[in-house]
Amino acid sequence: MLQIKDLKVAFGEAEVLRGIDLDLDAGDSLSVVGESGAGKTTLGLCIMGLATGRVSGEVRFKGKDLLKISEEDFRRMRGREIAMVFQNVEDALDPVQRIQDQIAEAIHIHNNATATDVELRAKKLLLSVGLNGDKARAYPHQLSGGERQRVLISMALANDPDVLILDEPTASLDALTKADILKLFRSAIAGRISLVITHDLSLAAGLTEQMAVLYAGRIVEVGRTDELLSDPRHPYTRGLIRSYPGMTMTKDLQGIPGRMDHCLEGCPFHKRCTQRIEICRIKVPQLRKIDGRLIACHRGGIVPLLEIRHLHKSFDSCFALCDINLTLYEGETLALVGESGSGKSTLSRVIMGLYDQDRGDIILEGQEVGKRDAAFFSRVQMIFQNPKESVSHRMNVLDAVLEPLNVQKKGDREERLIRAKEVLDCVELPFSDDFLDRYPHQLSGGEVQRVAIARALALGPKLLIADEPTSALDPSVQAKILKLLMDLQEEMGLAMLFVTHDIALARKVSDRIAVMLKGQIVEMGATNEVLSHPEHSYTRRLVDCAKSYQRDSKEINQRPDRDSNPG
Amino acid sequence: MKREQFGRGSILNYIIALAAIFALNFILPRLMPGDPLHAIYGDEALVAMTPEMERSLIREFALDRSWIDQLQAYLMGLSHFDLGYSYYYKDQVSSVIMGALPWTLLLTGLALVIATALGIILGIESGYRRGELLDRCIVASLMFLSGFPDFFIGILLLLLFGVALGIAPLSGAITPYAGLEGFGYLEDVIGHLALPLSSLVLVQLGGIYLLTRNTIVSLMGESFILTAKAKGCSEFSIKYSHAGRNSLLPVTTATGLRIPHLLTGALFIEIIFSYPGVGSVLNTALNARDYPLIQGILLLITVAVLTANLIVDLLYSRLDPRVRYAH
Repeated sequence: MLQIKDLKVAFGEAEVLRGIDLDLDAGDSLSVVGESGAGKTTLGLCIMGLATGRVSGEVRFKGKDLLKISEEDFRRMRGREIAMVFQNVEDALDPVQRIQDQIAEAIHIHNNATATDVELRAKKLLLSVGLNGDKARAYPHQLSGGERQRVLISMALANDPDVLILDEPTASLDALTKADILKLFRSAIAGRISLVITHDLSLAAGLTEQMAVLYAGRIVEVGRTDELLSDPRHPYTRGLIRSYPGMTMTKDLQGIPGRMDHCLEGCPFHKRCTQRIEICRIKVPQLRKIDGRLIACHRGGIVPLLEIRHLHKSFDSCFALCDINLTLYEGETLALVGESGSGKSTLSRVIMGLYDQDRGDIILEGQEVGKRDAAFFSRVQMIFQNPKESVSHRMNVLDAVLEPLNVQKKGDREERLIRAKEVLDCVELPFSDDFLDRYPHQLSGGEVQRVAIARALALGPKLLIADEPTSALDPSVQAKILKLLMDLQEEMGLAMLFVTHDIALARKVSDRIAVMLKGQIVEMGATNEVLSHPEHSYTRRLVDCAKSYQRDSKEINQRPDRDSNPG
Repeated sequence: MKREQFGRGSILNYIIALAAIFALNFILPRLMPGDPLHAIYGDEALVAMTPEMERSLIREFALDRSWIDQLQAYLMGLSHFDLGYSYYYKDQVSSVIMGALPWTLLLTGLALVIATALGIILGIESGYRRGELLDRCIVASLMFLSGFPDFFIGILLLLLFGVALGIAPLSGAITPYAGLEGFGYLEDVIGHLALPLSSLVLVQLGGIYLLTRNTIVSLMGESFILTAKAKGCSEFSIKYSHAGRNSLLPVTTATGLRIPHLLTGALFIEIIFSYPGVGSVLNTALNARDYPLIQGILLLITVAVLTANLIVDLLYSRLDPRVRYAH
């Protein structure tokens, strides 16, 4: 019923919307999410015919092109067939008029009714949104934020519109009010075409069936809301979800590097995307249907970096790995957990080529991995548990970081030196001559691990296998190293296979988790899902053991206070 | 309780302000150079005047008494609404002022109403069309006009319509000895009023217009205007019942503050057009060093300004529910 085709809006030179296509039928609810400045509100205003810039394209509603009808015709439709609730509850109502009069006005414009009739209807509307009669004669400043929002909704519903656009409808409300209002919204959007413009993902999840992700005036992903949130496929969507503090999220918040730039050629997101290739800079990706959803990405969404298919490995007659299948996506951390001897380290060594597999395939960026050559090691690197052992004690800091560059003969001596300093800067180490001359025994554990990470980063890998990278470090240093790794992931799109036996640690750093037992993966999935609803009994035991520390501490707290004991 | 304290404090403020005004009213005229005798009778008359006559006049004007005594007499008179006796007009100050006041009220009242109404309407229309040709023309011409001092506009209009074109009377409020009655009288009054009124309006218009326009421009960006548009309100209703009504708030305040300016403007205009209002009387009184009359007029102006402020306050709480319910 509402079709938007190639909608473009420009203010002077700046294009705010750069070709939007949407198709909505009666009963459809769509949330439009994205950072501020993505053009979400402008999209809503375009449908209302209130956008101020140069608008081109088509907005078809009930067969009419809204961009072509006269202002007077459009005015008659506004509020009657298409209604919008604006953000900023604080001043969305006229401060000098009684709310009842404001609602009555909305009715009066589109209906030939007597004043008393209109007043009666306005009162009824207010009642229907939960505001009783004595509020009707109040002025906006006498109402709370939630009440004002109710007034705005009742005003938008006054003429029973077919399309309802909600622009950041809960932005200025507190959590409890928000929950109340959410119920009201749910009943308000039922049966209508609704467009919910928001950057609040939980609101989008609570209200809408469909979700469109807007970035710099283009839609980059459209799909079912629940699917999009649980399994984002566009790097930008994933970035949005990673920056949103949800109650079920366990991984630390990560942002999206860089900032939005409106006037880019090619893919609007390419400057901030960690998996960009040459074509992203040149050509605009079109929305394509991939696995039941629409994605605008030249790479078809987040690419699988490492795929392992039916991997087997045994030492003599003893199975070490049995039918391992896993996929690791770009910019993602997969935690590999399990007790000692479960095969975690064996798996990472097989991937690195330290052991040969008996059967099965290892596929890196779509290519079957055979011999581990220089190209492989410039894409995949590893860091180990004990940095003092993994960094040769005969090499000073500079030599250790230069070594992979020297081995692969990258550039001349000058360039290598520059690169070495770059990566040392990346891991937040100084690169003064004094520091470069130091040997591992002159550095702290955390510093040596940073040197090891710098060495691993020197060749610009996409996949980092981290085998218990922090278990030899004390907690505060561990926290800093993990933060560093997460930041590097955010900036470079580094995928990480994080091998650990520490479930609590895995919970904080990983997107997905794979639980290994006796050479097999017994459970795998999103970290928060797996840890809050473990299915395999072994996973449950691991989780229980990890929790036991907290239970103990609770018991300690529950002991009767010594002071309260008499005597 | 807090409110009561506030009330008592503000009453005290008013008393202090009033006392200061009385004192200034009294002192300022007397600080002017010259004295009533010279001013009224002129140097030559003084030469002919015998010392006896001079003494009797001085006694009659109470100039032989000290400032303190004069002030005491002035305040005593005020306490039963006696403004004193005019040296020049030889009449009660209050009756001199009452004779002139209707004309001034007519002139300033109409100027205020017309300038405010016109300023608001032009401001709304122009602010709504911000950046369009019409808006730019109005802004430019009104900025140009409000740059001139009042009397200059008055002289300009007088020269153009009164002298060059000859379609307006040059001075006065009515044609003397014409014996007009009814509609003819009204016509005559309006004819005489047209030029002084126009010059006052033109000068006052700019400020009100610019303020309204600026207010409208910023209001047009407010969410509630967007809400009104989304409801499907007509352009007229958005301009006047939403943006316009909200713009009245600052405009009312500013108009209140402009009233003293309007009164001084009227003073000059009345002098230029020899309009028989309070301004002309004040001019005469100043030239004659007619202390009681000057005091009386200054007091009247003060009271008028205070009253205007009070009206603005009352009006403001009518216009803005946020102020009405603030206490």
